[in-house]
Amino acid sequence: MSPTRRELLAGAAAGALGVLGVYELVDHLAGSPPQRPAPTVPELPEQHLLQGVQHVMQNDVEVIVPPLHHEVMTAKLEVDRAGLKDAQATLSDLLAKLDHDYVPTPAGLGVTVAWGLPYFHRLVPGAAGTHLPRDTRAGKPAVIDARTFPSDPGDTVLEANEVAILLRSDQRPNIDDALDRLRSSGLFHLTSLRRGFAGGAFDGGHSLPRTMAIAANVPGAELIPEGAELFLGFTSTQKAAFGPGKIANFETLGFVDLGRGGYFREGTHLHLSHVTEDLESWYVGFLFAERVTTAFKPGLEVPEGTQVVAQGPEQASTTTDVRRQFRASGRIGHSASIQSTSRLTAEVVGPDGTRYPKGTAVPIRADFNTLDNPFLFSDERGVIQEGPVAGVHFLSFNPSSDDFNRNRLAMDGVLPTGSLGIPPGDRAQGINSILSTTHRQNFLVPPRRNRSFPLAELPG
Amino acid sequence: MKALTASAAFAVAFSLLAAGCGGGSKNAATTAVTSAAPAKPTCEHPLGWQQLANRIRADVYCPGWLPPPLTDQIRGQWNNINAVSPDRSYLESFIWQDTDSPNLSGEFHVVLRGYPGRTTIPTCLEGPSDKTPTPCFGGMHGHVTAGGIRATLYTVNQDVDAWHLLLLWHHKGGLYTVSEHLAPPLNYRKVVAFLKRELGSLVLIAPSRPS
Repeated sequence: MSPTRRELLAGAAAGALGVLGVYELVDHLAGSPPQRPAPTVPELPEQHLLQGVQHVMQNDVEVIVPPLHHEVMTAKLEVDRAGLKDAQATLSDLLAKLDHDYVPTPAGLGVTVAWGLPYFHRLVPGAAGTHLPRDTRAGKPAVIDARTFPSDPGDTVLEANEVAILLRSDQRPNIDDALDRLRSSGLFHLTSLRRGFAGGAFDGGHSLPRTMAIAANVPGAELIPEGAELFLGFTSTQKAAFGPGKIANFETLGFVDLGRGGYFREGTHLHLSHVTEDLESWYVGFLFAERVTTAFKPGLEVPEGTQVVAQGPEQASTTTDVRRQFRASGRIGHSASIQSTSRLTAEVVGPDGTRYPKGTAVPIRADFNTLDNPFLFSDERGVIQEGPVAGVHFLSFNPSSDDFNRNRLAMDGVLPTGSLGIPPGDRAQGINSILSTTHRQNFLVPPRRNRSFPLAELPG
Repeated sequence: MKALTASAAFAVAFSLLAAGCGGGSKNAATTAVTSAAPAKPTCEHPLGWQQLANRIRADVYCPGWLPPPLTDQIRGQWNNINAVSPDRSYLESFIWQDTDSPNLSGEFHVVLRGYPGRTTIPTCLEGPSDKTPTPCFGGMHGHVTAGGIRATLYTVNQDVDAWHLLLLWHHKGGLYTVSEHLAPPLNYRKVVAFLKRELGSLVLIAPSRPS
């Protein structure tokens, strides 16, 4: 109930350091970085897939140990069409040097470069018209502008960055080095930096989110359970809840047309958003059993204090299940509602022969805890708010914007078969009553071979 | 004028809290609040509490300390609920609200309950959303000891105690609670500290007529 001595000391330290300083506590509080296996395969063609990620068993569920440190840099480009090819060469060289200096694993550095539609429209409009992939299921481009959703607040910002770069590592200095090199390249006008952390309690130690939130004096922090992976007290990185292998690639599930040449084959779509979490409302307003119902699904009973709840194909809910749960209880669960659109409804065999069974998750999430409010840095006056706030920088790799939108709409009770009619933000609408999205944007993640200024080498 | 009163109230409340946590100044250390041997808690307005004990024919607890400007006076200006149910359970609610002071608006709301002859947690029929039976006090979250009472902390409570942190203990076959609203300007840590202080200040008042 009371903060431990470790947490109080962390709180005192954070008070002296300020918001930025809180992040410096991650290494101190998390202890030794997890032991990571050396990568056993050559560099993947997909830049969104991180190799060497460790799995552990918790409550008989296989859980992914994510990299400890995360940072997203968003930017506009200090480049015009005349300088495009030079810029492409410069960034390509910079990224190759990072690959040379760091293994592409959590022990080294994961780098994912994603490009916003403003880049394609401003700098390579002709080639983009030819090569950008198209979602044939939705009848739209695979990457479209982000939209707001029924439970979003009225002031959710839809961003227009030209590029976003995700950096992941167990070693903070590796990320700092990459950031320094990127910022020194002269290619980018930084629009934001978004920092955070994940994991940290897989060896049975202290909950990193709890300890960090207490250190940052976030309201409700003391109510986060010991050992929790997330501010909200449940573990979300279980393997079965993540899309496996290449499933989120444009080409895998067959509803994205890559056009002639398949320039973006082995690429994917990225949704990036920032969401704040009202921890006091979550822990003071919801009994544990209701938190389980809200986070997973109505009717689910697990022992008090359980943090890892199996969400394999056998447990996944369908649209019919969600409707039945809603009829019986008047509410929907967060995981169940999303599963109704994010899990395969039938087995799929990918172009490389990989079999993806019914119930397999499609999205590959790369979200991480944050205390940013809403960002660590913004080039826009008035964006950064005073004091840290508990939240998540949400990153999800899906085969298309529409695929992400389907999942996010389902989270609001808007299912492919029709809306359940739950008022936006209502308590019956899963977890949305305590979440608030501040920013959203969609990006295209090219394959590794075309990650630097994609399409710039092609004739306009 | 109200803002000044509000500022003064918060200043007093927080200085008392700081003193209670051992962080007081030299001046504070000279007060009864932080002396090495704290004075025995006293009930400033015992008449109303005595009448309550007599009415329910059971012991009641008068708070010897409430965050200023609240006082323990039943039927005083801050006592917005003074209720006894047919089962002899009682509810005393003390509330102070400020809504117009820049950067300061908030409230102090303390609720004391007693359920003579009852040891189990009562059931509230208005759950958060389901309108189904819900424990009135839930989300057990450890224990707090003060004033010789070992109380259990509950974090998810209903009805008048909704959005309050609540301490619950048993006495003479009855169940008693004190709760405080978790709302600005207080945070979790401060509310728990206030509750501990309130628990340690309780003055037991027995009925003056034989029960």
